[in-house]
Parts: sequence; C-alpha cells; structure tokens
Amino acid sequence: MKAASICPNDQTGCHLLPLANLFDRVIQHSARMHGISDDLHSEFELYFLPSKNQIGRVSRNCHTSTILTPNGKENAQRIAREELAEIILKLLVAWRDPLWHFHQSMSQHDEFTNFSSNKSLEMSDMVHELRKGVLKVVEKMQMLGIISNSVGDTGSPEALLTSDSAEWRFMKDYDLLYCFRRDSNKIQNYLKILKCRIVPKHGC
Amino acid sequence: MAVSLSYDLLLLLVISSLDWSSTPGSAFLTDHNRMTSSGRSEKKQQKRERATPVEPHFTECMSRDLETFRCWWSPGTFHNLSSPEELRVFYLKRNSPSSEWKECPEYSHLNRECFFDANHTSIWIPYCLQLRGQNNITYFNEDDCFSVENIVRPDPPVSLNWTLLIVSPSGLSYDVMVSWEPPPSADVSTGWMRIEYEIQYRERNATTWEALETQPHTQQTIYGLQAGTEYEVHIRTKMKGFPKFGDFSDSIFVKVTEIPLRESAVLLTLVLTFGVAGILILIMLIVVSHQQRLMMILLPPVPAPKIKGIDSELLKKGKLEELDFILNGGGLGGLPTYISDYYQDEPWVEFIEVDEEDADCGEKEDQKSSDTQRLLGLPQRSVGCFSADSHPDDDSGRASCYDTDLSEQDTHLLAASLLPGQPEDEEAFLHPDEKAPASETNKSPLIQTESEGKPTWINTDLYAQVSNVMPSGGVVLSPGQQLRIQENTEKESQKKGTLGEDTSKLNKPQFQLLVVDPDGSGYTSEITARQISTPPSSLVPGEGYQTIYPQPMETKPAAPSEPNQSPYILPDSPQTRLFAPVADYTVVQELDTHQSLLLNLPTQQPPPPCLPQHPLKAPVAIGYVTPDLLGNLSS
Repeated sequence: MKAASICPNDQTGCHLLPLANLFDRVIQHSARMHGISDDLHSEFELYFLPSKNQIGRVSRNCHTSTILTPNGKENAQRIAREELAEIILKLLVAWRDPLWHFHQSMSQHDEFTNFSSNKSLEMSDMVHELRKGVLKVVEKMQMLGIISNSVGDTGSPEALLTSDSAEWRFMKDYDLLYCFRRDSNKIQNYLKILKCRIVPKHGC
Repeated sequence: MAVSLSYDLLLLLVISSLDWSSTPGSAFLTDHNRMTSSGRSEKKQQKRERATPVEPHFTECMSRDLETFRCWWSPGTFHNLSSPEELRVFYLKRNSPSSEWKECPEYSHLNRECFFDANHTSIWIPYCLQLRGQNNITYFNEDDCFSVENIVRPDPPVSLNWTLLIVSPSGLSYDVMVSWEPPPSADVSTGWMRIEYEIQYRERNATTWEALETQPHTQQTIYGLQAGTEYEVHIRTKMKGFPKFGDFSDSIFVKVTEIPLRESAVLLTLVLTFGVAGILILIMLIVVSHQQRLMMILLPPVPAPKIKGIDSELLKKGKLEELDFILNGGGLGGLPTYISDYYQDEPWVEFIEVDEEDADCGEKEDQKSSDTQRLLGLPQRSVGCFSADSHPDDDSGRASCYDTDLSEQDTHLLAASLLPGQPEDEEAFLHPDEKAPASETNKSPLIQTESEGKPTWINTDLYAQVSNVMPSGGVVLSPGQQLRIQENTEKESQKKGTLGEDTSKLNKPQFQLLVVDPDGSGYTSEITARQISTPPSSLVPGEGYQTIYPQPMETKPAAPSEPNQSPYILPDSPQTRLFAPVADYTVVQELDTHQSLLLNLPTQQPPPPCLPQHPLKAPVAIGYVTPDLLGNLSS
C-alpha cells in the first residue's frame, strides 16, 4: 500500500496509516462515482442532442451553485481543512435526494436501457456510501486532533431546506447529469487535496 | 451607413449563428471520442470558411493543467481587419448573476491567443468568451461557453524509452516494455489531475496506427512485435473521466534484429537426435545381451514331451524301437518297478491320461521317479495331479477311458488275468467276487483259474510273438524280440491312433495268450463266459478283441474238437510250448476256416478310443484290455 511508504520512523506518521488507507478508499469511491456520472452523461448526450446554448442554460440551473466551493487548486489548498471537509459533505448531502429522484424517473422511462438504470441506482447508492465514508474520515481526523470538531453532520434535513431544495425538481434529467458530473469531479479533487494536506506525502 | 453596415453585420451574425449548430464554443464541450482533437477544430473551421464568410471567432480554448487555460481566435473572412489588435477578447464568468464581461488578462497577439493564468482561472465555473471588434461590434456565440475541466488536454508524456522483455523461442517475435514519465505540467503527484495514457504504434512505413487500451500507469507492454521490423511508438494523454486527448508525444523507434536462433535450434535438434539414437542403441545392446532371459520371459518355451532318461530325439519319427528298448529295460530297472507297482494303479489307459497330466503337473511331480513309472501311473505322482482333472477336456477317448467304471478291483482283476505269473493279491482277485454283479460270478472261476495259472506266467515277458500257429488252433509264442514287433507297428504309423491300433493288435496275442493258456479250462470257461455274456459289439474298445471275438463266434460251429467250442485257438499239446517265454508277438487278425490264425488283418471296427492315447507306452503297458473288456470280464 502506498500508505506504508508514508510511515517513517516517527510516531506521528505511523498512526496516520489507517487514515491514509481510509482516504484512499474514499478517493477511489469518488473516482468511480465520477466515472459513472460521466458515462451517464455521455449516454444522455447521445440520446438527447443538446441544444446549442446548453452550457449557459445549465450553469444557471445547477442547484448546488449556491454552495460556495473553491474554484481552483490554490483556493482549495488555501482554505481551512475543516471547511474543505465540510464543503465535501455539503455537496454529498445535496445530491442525495436528487439522485434518488433521478433514478426513479429513469426507471420509469422505457427508452433507457437497463444499463443506464443500473448506473443511476449505483450512482445514488454511491452518494450515500461516499458520504458515510467521508464522515468516517472526518471522525478519524477529529479523533486524531487534526481538525476541530466544528465539522458536523450536515446531513440533517434542515440543512437541505435552502432555496436549492426546490430547484432541483425543475431540473431536467440532462441538466442534472451535467451538474452531478461536475460536482462529482469537484468532490474527487477536494478529497485529493484534503488528503494531500492532511497526510503528508511526497509531492504534496 | 455605419449603422446599416453594423445592421448587416448583425443580421449576418444572427443568420450564421442560426445556421450553424456547432460552433467553436460548443466544440469545446461536445467533443467526444468521435474524432481526434487535433483535426476537429480545423475541419469545422474549414467548413465554415468554405460555406459562408465567417466572422471572427474562437478556434479553440484549451487547458493543459487544470489551472490555466488559453484561447485562440481567428479573425475570419468576414472583413478585413487592419490589425489584429482590433479584436478584443472578453470573457464572462457565470458564477454569479451579477457578473460582467472582462477583458483578456493576457494577450499574445502573435498567436492570436488569450492566456488565462491561475488567478483568472476557475474550475467548474462556466466561462463565456466573446470577441469585440472596433465600433463595439460584438461577435458572441452562446456556444462559446465552457468549463475549464472540460477543455483539459494534458501534455504528452516525456522520457519515453523501451526495453526488450522477451523474445519468442523461434526468434521471430518479441515483447517490449515501454515506460515514460508523466507530463511535467500536469500535477499528478497531488492527484489534482488523474491522467490516462494511450500508446499507439505502427510499423515504420505503415499508415494506420495500432492503439492499445488507455491505462493510468506509466509503463506498458507491447506484445507480438516482429523481429527485424522497426516500429514507431508514441503516446498521448487524457484526463480520467474526461474525453479529450492531448497531443501525441514524440515518437520513439523500436527495433530488434532477428537473432539467428535457427542455428541454435538446429544444434538442439541434432543433440536430441543423437541422444535418442544413443539411448536406442543402448537399449538394443541390453536386449541383445540378455536375449535369452528376455526370450524366456516373453516367450516361455512350450513344454515338450519329456521322459526322464530318454532323449526327446527318440520320440521323433523312426526311433520308437530305441525308445521302447530304453523304456523296457534296455537300461535297467524298467520293468521290475513297473511290474511291482502295477497293481496299484489302474490300467494303461490311466497311464496315458496321467502322463498327459504329467505334462501339466510335471513340475509338481517327483522328478526322481522314472519315466516308466510315470507312464505306468505309479504312485510317485502327486495325488493332486492325478485327481485334479478327472475329466480331461479334449480327448474324449481318454475321458471315456477314464470314466469307465474301472475300479481298482477290476483293474486288479484284469491285471491278474492278464499278467503272466503275478502271484500277488489273490485277495484282490477275490474281491470282485463280492462287489461284482451276478454276471461276474463267471469271472470268479476265471480268477481262480487264473490264479492257478498264474505261476506259469511269471517268467514271461509282457509281449510275446506268435511264432507259430498250431493246426489245432493253438498259438505258439516266441520269446523276446519286442523290438521286432515294435518295428512292425512302427511301420504302419507313428500317430497315436494307429499306434494304439497296433498296440491293440499287439494286445491281442496277450489276450490270446490268455485264451491259449494250456490251463485253458479256466480260461476256456472264461472265454465261454465271455462268449455267452459279452456280445461282440461290446468289445468295442479293442479292435483286436473285436476281431478276435466275432471270429470265434462265426467260427463257432467250425470249432475244433474242443469241448468248449471256443473258436479261439485252443492249444492241445502245445501247452508246454506255450509256457515257453514268448517275447515276440504279432497280431492275430482272424481265424481262417482251418482254424489257423490270420495275422494283420484290417480291423473291422473303430479302434478303442482309449488306445490312441498311449502311442509310446503301448509296448510297455501290459493291460491292453480296454475298460469295456474289463467290464465285460467283470460282468
């Protein structure tokens, strides 16, 4: 395992081994989630050729646009680790219900192949799992004293009661997929940056 | 006028924007793996230029490292621009509703490029670009909006090199491991960019490239390259999860010269051939040296008829007299042993069978016993042998001989009746009296008389030759000269059957001897008993007997003056003569009208089935009386 290489003789490094493993698993999970979302998005583009100004339209409709997220590597490296972890969790929570709803609508449409239907279900499940995984990582970090305890469970339903909650219902399937594809990429990159910042590694 | 011109321009702009569904802007977003990145924008640009006069537009926007990006534009053919600086690039970040157009942070008018550095680059946020010419003419296309992560084209890898993995045994094909470094511009170490690589290779002068599957590692094996051919290899990269490929790297050339392994293969085959030949020769030598033993193991010798003390050569054609000589005491100890032990066994029929079994049980028997004894069925033989096979399978005659109700008592009786001068076992003779049926009562006088007459035969040989026939019907036997008889018999055939016949013929005189015995009263009575009790047909076993019997029947009326009317030659005076030891004998075939013996007449009935079984033992065996005859005797 890569994590083994980061365990020098000093004690501080060694007890981070399980945390590094956790991070790796979570990052793998997020990568897979992003891959599935990319596949689904490509499929949608094949079936439903988007109109010209898709990008402009979509950018207005993503329900997670209200969540402030670092828009670059430097920004992600600059903000606090707790904040980064919290953003990740916020994103994951925000996508829980829309993806479930999306899966429901997908299974109702006959034109979608079973492949797509399975992927949407998988995507929905993955968001759940990934959120749990990230929560575990946060717990571990808090246990190790790396981050403060300010990072709470943002999965409570009250957190969802934002203006976003209504918007995603109006999103069309394709827009939803586009938005999720983007957000899954965000999550993946944020996790990478977070790991690099918390678990010291060559090159970070 | 300017207004009209601008109006026209606007109109044209609208028309062009309506006509074209795909623009450079959308090309950034919708490019999938359908076509290569390098050729796409050029094609579309050409299309546009060919069809209608094109306005200034952006050709491409690209990011190499997901931290910066740059855009290129072209002035188009719409109208002549005096200088490139006339066109200005404005961008809009749609991350908030109140965003506004800003100008390009860094121009590179030489390349018609606008570069956005890290400070001005935001990932995951849509950008829109527009060109503005003089007079605030705006050339804007909605499709020229994109997100930076979607326009990433990573740089190609660097430091390509290859190593030979393995060459096939034939030397014709080989595998190569190609390794490289990730592009330095891409931040792979932090994981900010996750890059996949695609290797393509082709033969030096080929036109189409062979592509391997995209994979994230920095090395890959190419299998199945042909030796002697030079290959060109290059690699390109793309972001994992995003469709756009970067440019190809510089090509490297892979070549493996054809190693002349054919020589080594030839050597190898030569060595193998010689090795195999050597092993074969060795095996042959071993086989030849141990040929005898191997032959013994593989092809065990068929047991040949063997009699101890007798050369098997004698058993072959034409040497029967020598054999008989040997068997009959030409050497010593032939007869006595057999004579003494004879009573203990069943008649000669048994001998033959046992001898056959001897062949089977030869190993079991005591090798010390002489062949004569074995022939006679002497008790040296293992009982198991004897009794093991009470029903010899193939030879019916034997079986019948064996299966006849010869009892020891009968044999004893017969022996007593046949043997000359056997003084033993008078009781044995008497036993049949008890066991024999009523018809056997006739036998008893015979026995008694036989016992009386026994001593006369003590010194007589087994075989006697009839040297003269008395006119009264008696037979004069001459002693000795068994060989002559054997010779006579030999002449006919060497087969068992014929010998059997001969021996049966030979036996006849014995039988006749019995008849001829001067004591005859007992014998004659016996004969009469036989005549009365035994039909001629029952005397099937011995042809000699058969011939003898019917003839006396026939010639009965012509019997001489003998009171018992036996057609047999009954000697009168030649009794004394008859006591002379007779060694030679011939076969009496029939009696002529003059009561004289006719010798060597053809047999009229089939030989006894038992006879053929004792071709060589005939001279030795005494009792040629067939079991039937014996049965007749007993009955």
